Amino acid sequence: MSRIMAHLVTHYPDADRSRAVAQGLIDGGASYLEIQFPFSDPTADGPAIQKACQDALDTGFSVDEGFSFVRNVASDIRESGREIPIFVMTYASLIFARGVERFLADGVDAGATGFILPDIPIDYDEGVWDAATRVGATIMPVTVTTAARARLDLILERSPKYAYIALRRGITGVKTQLDSKMLAVLDRFRDAGTRVMAGFGITEADQVRALEQHVHAVVVGSALVRTVTDCAADDHETIRAAVAARLKALLPET
Amino acid sequence: MTKRYNDYFGDFGGRYVAEVLRAPLDELEDAFLDAMDDPSFHDEFDEIASTFVGRPTPMLYAKNSSKEIGGAQIFVKLEGLANTGAHKINNAVGQILLAKRMGKRRIIAETGAGQHGVATAAVCAKMGFECTVYMGEIDITRQKPNVFWMELFGATVAPVGSGQKTLKDAVNEALRDWASSFADTHYIIGSALGPSPYPDMVREFQSVVGREARAQIEEMITARDLNLEALVACVGGGSNAIGFFEPFLETKAPRLIGVEAGGRGPEPGNHAARMKGLGRTGIVQGYKSLFLLDPDGQVQDTHSVSAGLDYPGIGPQLAALGVAGRIEFARATDSEALDALQFFAKNEGVVFALESAHGAAEAIRLARELPPTSAIVVNMSGRGDKDLFITAKQLDKERWQEFLAREAAE
Ligand SMILES: Cc1ncc(COP(=O)(O)O)c(C=O)c1O
Repeated sequence: MSRIMAHLVTHYPDADRSRAVAQGLIDGGASYLEIQFPFSDPTADGPAIQKACQDALDTGFSVDEGFSFVRNVASDIRESGREIPIFVMTYASLIFARGVERFLADGVDAGATGFILPDIPIDYDEGVWDAATRVGATIMPVTVTTAARARLDLILERSPKYAYIALRRGITGVKTQLDSKMLAVLDRFRDAGTRVMAGFGITEADQVRALEQHVHAVVVGSALVRTVTDCAADDHETIRAAVAARLKALLPET
Repeated sequence: MTKRYNDYFGDFGGRYVAEVLRAPLDELEDAFLDAMDDPSFHDEFDEIASTFVGRPTPMLYAKNSSKEIGGAQIFVKLEGLANTGAHKINNAVGQILLAKRMGKRRIIAETGAGQHGVATAAVCAKMGFECTVYMGEIDITRQKPNVFWMELFGATVAPVGSGQKTLKDAVNEALRDWASSFADTHYIIGSALGPSPYPDMVREFQSVVGREARAQIEEMITARDLNLEALVACVGGGSNAIGFFEPFLETKAPRLIGVEAGGRGPEPGNHAARMKGLGRTGIVQGYKSLFLLDPDGQVQDTHSVSAGLDYPGIGPQLAALGVAGRIEFARATDSEALDALQFFAKNEGVVFALESAHGAAEAIRLARELPPTSAIVVNMSGRGDKDLFITAKQLDKERWQEFLAREAAE
């Protein structure tokens, strides 16, 4: 069975309609939701997500509102009768400004399972891992298939429940070709008992199918954000349906 | 001498980057430390410094200005006489030599005022590297002449339309490029900031300014029986300041004063001053330091008449030394900088870059408070030629616009 961790940016295209995006992802069969809190300088994101973050900030996003959004989406998930863990993805600046422990605790309180923090590496972690243990949050460390073996080992030593593995060297949003070296990295984590979430540049059902046996879930980000961009002027129901359709098209027929 | 590789400076610094950038940063750290211990690296740097950069740059005794002020004697390190017009070239030379050692063939850089971009494009032309310079669309508009020079040197100037469309956005774009290109590309960052080892490395390459200045000023104050009271430098990211101050960081005297952009005033969005309570500790663009952030941690807009100071973060070592008290910080507003620029132009026949003119403004202010037996050295990090279109518009608007209209009609 294929699983997808579907990414969305809260407050994109605006607060209300990003709820429609989340509902569309739930309808479309997402197994996990990655909710990105927009930051003004998202250096690890490609152009589509970066633009979405900028627009989200222009609508007046605040971190408090971000947690309200998570709360609302968690309630939509409960209503759907499905179990879809929410991971909050954001950058160090937002966490640090609120205080690491408070940020994580507020996220858990709002209904998030864990956090994805690309610019907080494991050896410059600002106390994130300890704080996560205290508040009952799961950190999903982020790495890349091109990382040195010693860097991968550093993450494996923590025996993380999940790991987010970027499939290419670069930033998000450019089409990815799978190769055997990439797959070997994924398998190392899988064999260590970590649930591997892999993505970056996934745009087609074929890619999802090719990854299926190597990962716990495939991450889809830019492709979905582009769908939202294409219907940024539409109403709630239209967006919800378009996002659901886009996601369904990525999931192999069952 | 301060330690070459620190990573952290007190609470600030570090390497807060996505895992994808660890490989090139680790490689760079190794190459940097290796080069610093290799005499042939220093020989090559010195050779290029003297035959291409124009080192040593002169130290001017600003006699007329000092007399008019009637206080301390002002000396000006004419760093802006370096090839391409600013201190930026010292760092560009050092880093391109590292790129060569690492076997890279392509260089990327970000630029604000365009000075770092021009310096990088020039060294790429000289050393035979392909070069792409990221530059915010707003900076491209206000620093058009530098775009022309970069292209003349054969560089590609890539406009950045995201965010505030200025320096910080150009850094973001350069980091994005690097994340997918580091196999054959080196990123020459333009100031003493970013993830480690950049702050340490840029300081080392800029410390040539401080070493020269120390030797020059010692001779000049001894001859005049003066007491060296203070060194003054403008601070954008902080590369000219940290390089200028470097030989004095571990001594108690002289006073070291960094001057930030006071812009139009202290309200958020109107300035680029991060010290003295305006900045918050944060992690942005790979390093921990003081930044202009809103309470949520979003980076705030900044303003300065000088594009080179128009940046929300300060290099981690300067921030740490500011908190520790070794370096003092002051601010000069847009109009104070313009006044200082005119003052030194009239009295000394030198035109400060708008960035450096912030330091000049503080030097004038400080000289008034000190006795004539004191000496102050201000770093003219750049010369003002590049700012012609801004300065002329500010100081002689009508005639300048007439001229531009005539030129445009041709
Ligand atoms: C002449 C000049 N001085 C100063 C600066 C500010 O940079 P830094 O603080 O790194 O010296 C710039 C930046 O473009 C510049 O061009």
